[in-house]
Amino acid sequence: MVLKLVFDSISARLYLPREYFVLTDAGKPVFISRPGGGDQDGMVSTIGIMQALISVFLDDHDKLRCINAGQTRITFLLRPPLYYACASSWGEPESVIRSHLEYLHLQILSIVTATQLKRIFERRTNFDLRRLLNGAEPFMHSLLSRLETDIAMTMSSLNCLKVEPNLRKRLAESLVPNSKMKDILYIILIANDRVVTLIRPKKHSIHPADLHIIMNTIHSPSIYNSPASASWVPVCLPKFNPAVFVNAYIAFLRKDDSEGLNESGVALVCINGGGDLEAVRSWFDSVIIKLSSDGTLNALLSAHRSKETEYSVSELGIPGLRHFIYKSRAQVQITLPTFEDPYDEPHARKRLITLYQTLHDSIHAKSGQEAGLKLQYIRTETESVMGWITQPFELYVTLSPLLPKSAAVGAANAVARWVKKEEARLFLKDAPVF
Amino acid sequence: MSETASGSADKSVQVKLVLLGEAAVGKSSVVLRFVSNEFQPNKEPTIGAAFLTQKCRLEDRILRYEIWDTAGQERFHSLAPMYYRNAQAAVVVYDVTKASSLEKAKSWVKELQRQANPNIVIALAGNKVDLVQPSASSPSAASHSESEDEADDATATPGETAGTAGEPESLRQVPREEAQAYATEAGLLFFETSAKTGEGIVDIFTEIAKKIPIEHILAASRGGSGRPGASGGRTDSTRQQGVNLEENATKGKDACNC
Repeated sequence: MVLKLVFDSISARLYLPREYFVLTDAGKPVFISRPGGGDQDGMVSTIGIMQALISVFLDDHDKLRCINAGQTRITFLLRPPLYYACASSWGEPESVIRSHLEYLHLQILSIVTATQLKRIFERRTNFDLRRLLNGAEPFMHSLLSRLETDIAMTMSSLNCLKVEPNLRKRLAESLVPNSKMKDILYIILIANDRVVTLIRPKKHSIHPADLHIIMNTIHSPSIYNSPASASWVPVCLPKFNPAVFVNAYIAFLRKDDSEGLNESGVALVCINGGGDLEAVRSWFDSVIIKLSSDGTLNALLSAHRSKETEYSVSELGIPGLRHFIYKSRAQVQITLPTFEDPYDEPHARKRLITLYQTLHDSIHAKSGQEAGLKLQYIRTETESVMGWITQPFELYVTLSPLLPKSAAVGAANAVARWVKKEEARLFLKDAPVF
Repeated sequence: MSETASGSADKSVQVKLVLLGEAAVGKSSVVLRFVSNEFQPNKEPTIGAAFLTQKCRLEDRILRYEIWDTAGQERFHSLAPMYYRNAQAAVVVYDVTKASSLEKAKSWVKELQRQANPNIVIALAGNKVDLVQPSASSPSAASHSESEDEADDATATPGETAGTAGEPESLRQVPREEAQAYATEAGLLFFETSAKTGEGIVDIFTEIAKKIPIEHILAASRGGSGRPGASGGRTDSTRQQGVNLEENATKGKDACNC
């Protein structure tokens, strides 16, 4: 009954922008994201109160997790020397905001490294970190806007571009580094903000959180909008190694025709540990020439233009099915159709994503539940959603609220069968390693 | 993209050039004016470094500038050797309306003279000169209201609003004579520039081209010794942020298995 009350109020939610705060354990502001900016009067005292509240609990050897205030919940994450807080009234599970704050922490580490951060605050507990993050605020803002809509981040997985397996394979083969390339970590081909293929050394896989940090970094306006033919950016990938910077060499493969600058967003990224930028640059040049001359780049661009890289839920022909997310647990990848009517409208999409997050949270018992659920079905006045976890996959389906629960079960089975059939196009499998 | 191909096929001489200077003095705007003849107010700050190329004709020769436009923020300082190592030319930029930016420029020049290729040609550019010119040189007074600052509040040029009347010269914090005297003493080319109006921009790159020992570069690259000027650059192992790929393999169960 309680559950019902909560979800009845869902359609009335306004989805006001969430407010984020980063402060040092000495109570100095580091980063604030809120409507109207973080520089208004009163922010210093707000930060002071946060620091005081956290300290009161720390003195009792306890940690403040969250404060519930009506529809608003203020969630805290302590990663000394930094404290994180978020105020949200979206009604999402606590674990969702906790993961947002964790991502924000990883983004800061990607700019300063954990080791550097620790060293600075050991020397000067009162350090003003804003000095070091000067010019890096756009990374944080773009990360927060991604977190709002990118369900792959919540589900800690990759969202790959749908591509013909043969094209994916040919593209990947051109990207295998030669033996002269030292210290290569990952080579990633991206289109439309999704991974086309990813080449990695045999002994390393990539952590999804590191990949999301890379995706956010290269799509930030200072790189994405730059007229430069390439950028070389130091970045720390905290899940790979929180102590060091690696280098990301990034080239957006632009076509100087009427298409617009980065419409297809095809980018080649090389993450390497060494500093030999000339070697990487000349390798990039040769790869780009190869991709252009063997027709694979054009094939990718035309697939993007003709929208073959996306799909509509109607292609599945499942009655009453409005949307779904399928996660292959073995591949740690998700696939989902485009958000169509009514979910092309931001308010409805936020509502749906919050429902997906609620299912994900219950299935994985992420907010302190006793055990995860195998299956959860929620019906609201606007839609019914069902989450289902099995050994090979997790599946989240959305249907009209007028359909019975049995329709959701039937639709889920039909989606699983369809994905199995289309697997080779939807997921990145068997990419070359070196 | 094809123009970034390292073409030894064409007869152009490749010149590696690096831009250095304090944050928000207009380094990227100077390059953008040179490469695309464009100007964007409120550019995003550069992160790390950006690579651009542009050809420049000098008498019967064609020079192909390979430009590393670096980020001015302090946290990127330690990466600079990666870009100026093997560079044949450097443009060190300051903001004529900000005295401290000349001090930063001087320290860059010192570092280059100590650590970079000994034959490096260095040019000093005092940018944003449009902000200190009487309206005679800029067609309408209104154009002053649009500052060429990068989006960086911390280093905003003071007195942006002083455009319409009064004494624009009062915005100037670095007298031309002072910078010129320093440049002469340190053996630098010197220009006052405006990426916004284009004043002085092409001149920097043509004057650098004239001073570059082209025959030396050609000889070095014919000799097959790889990048020209490599012999001059010092290597400093501490600045190499090498990574041991053996460490911290992300083999966790949540790592992507692709």
